[in-house]
Amino acid sequence: MRHTFIDKYSHLDSPVHRLDPRVKIIASLAAIIIITTEPVSGRLLNLCLYSAITLSATVLCRIPAVYLLKRMLIVSPFILMAALFYPVSVMDTREVPFISNWRPLAEAGLSVFLKASLALLILILLSTTERFHRLLMALRRLKVPAIVTTISALLYRYIFLLADEMLRTARARESRTPGVLRRGRLKVYGNQVAVIFLRSWERSQVIYKSMLSRGFAGEFPDMQEMRLRSSDIVLSLLFVALLLLIKFFI
Amino acid sequence: MPAGIKIEDLSFSYSPGRRVLKSVSLEIGPGEKFGIIGPSGSGKSTLLLHLNGVLEGETGSVTIGNIPVTGKNLPEVRRLVGLVFQNPDDQLFNPTVEEDVAFGPLNFGLPAADVRARVMAALAMMNLSGFEREISHHLSLGERKRVALATVLSMKPEVLAFDEPFSNLDPSMVMQLMEIMGSMVSTQVIVSQSVLPVIAICNRMAILKDGEIVAVGEPRTLAKDHVLMKASGLDLSLYRTLCRDL
Repeated sequence: MRHTFIDKYSHLDSPVHRLDPRVKIIASLAAIIIITTEPVSGRLLNLCLYSAITLSATVLCRIPAVYLLKRMLIVSPFILMAALFYPVSVMDTREVPFISNWRPLAEAGLSVFLKASLALLILILLSTTERFHRLLMALRRLKVPAIVTTISALLYRYIFLLADEMLRTARARESRTPGVLRRGRLKVYGNQVAVIFLRSWERSQVIYKSMLSRGFAGEFPDMQEMRLRSSDIVLSLLFVALLLLIKFFI
Repeated sequence: MPAGIKIEDLSFSYSPGRRVLKSVSLEIGPGEKFGIIGPSGSGKSTLLLHLNGVLEGETGSVTIGNIPVTGKNLPEVRRLVGLVFQNPDDQLFNPTVEEDVAFGPLNFGLPAADVRARVMAALAMMNLSGFEREISHHLSLGERKRVALATVLSMKPEVLAFDEPFSNLDPSMVMQLMEIMGSMVSTQVIVSQSVLPVIAICNRMAILKDGEIVAVGEPRTLAKDHVLMKASGLDLSLYRTLCRDL
């Protein structure tokens, strides 16, 4: 079975791809903080400028727009819900009727939508332009605890095997289910989940033994060197400075 | 000259009162290809895990070359003994082939240039040159098995311990793997239920039943002892009949 990896376009060549992953992580985090800390009202122009900059970076990355849209669509229902319900949650129905005061509320909803979408797009760009393993290595060098990066690396590696096992157990169930599963449906699904859990647990034991047998001492070793170039720092500082300029001077 | 193995009076249980290995003693010479056969649950894989110090016996001892397998010697023991697991998916936990093959040498603190050279050499030995950037679990089972072997070969072990190397392989892949194993000069311990390849490749073989060694000897001689094989849960009469018919 073939799976889609979140870093499937990390092999492309672009100025964003070439940036050191540590710089990319820090710049992305800074951008997300700058954008999401904007007030929800009266800052639409700023948000539009942020969008223009982020979209320019997206174009630079050369990642197919359809792929980015598909990934954004996965989370978009949650963003839409937040954008729709935020105005309702802050609306004071006792004083001003909704109809006469719709403009600031719509603006607030749009702000929430734009802020969340931009933050999501930045995260997608970060994970798409760098191999997941390198991102974890970069996080490790940024002093994120080894336990977090090791668990993430193993999760990313084995989630696909778990998906395969789920598929196999589902096929086994279906092959012995003539027609529709009529009785005890929940019990059957429950058993299937339990079997997958047990298999995963057993597999984790064997994998750990296999790691130990090859000298594992608690941390994934890294063969690839990370070289911080001055151009990486200049580019990311420019990106963040531009966002700060918009935030504080426009 | 690769290291030999000495196992003396080794006993082990996963839970109290249920012994998986019972006073196992074996001596495997340097460079020998030694098979351990036995039915499911006889303790073959458990015995193999003791060679590398992944499991520690309750009684008895394991010595690799002159080095006893004990806590303080584990880094050296793991450098000497490479374990190849039955399921390659249990052994390939890095995103790419290159990273998986480099995992062992990097853990031993070798410089990146040496590691890279070892990775290339191990992959070339397995006819996998050019597979460095491939995603391990997108490969076929036969390729994954060869990558799993490369992950161990890159550590340049003196002892290679194989757990069911022939399982789930088609006959041509079994032949291919047997050729690779035959060409290697390291001491080899092959644990398998596939009796025929073990008979073909090994100099000596032991039969393990219910955690005890019931016989050690020349593979063909042992395999011809129908009573012993049947009593050990390894009845080969079907194979004999089929071989005659074919």
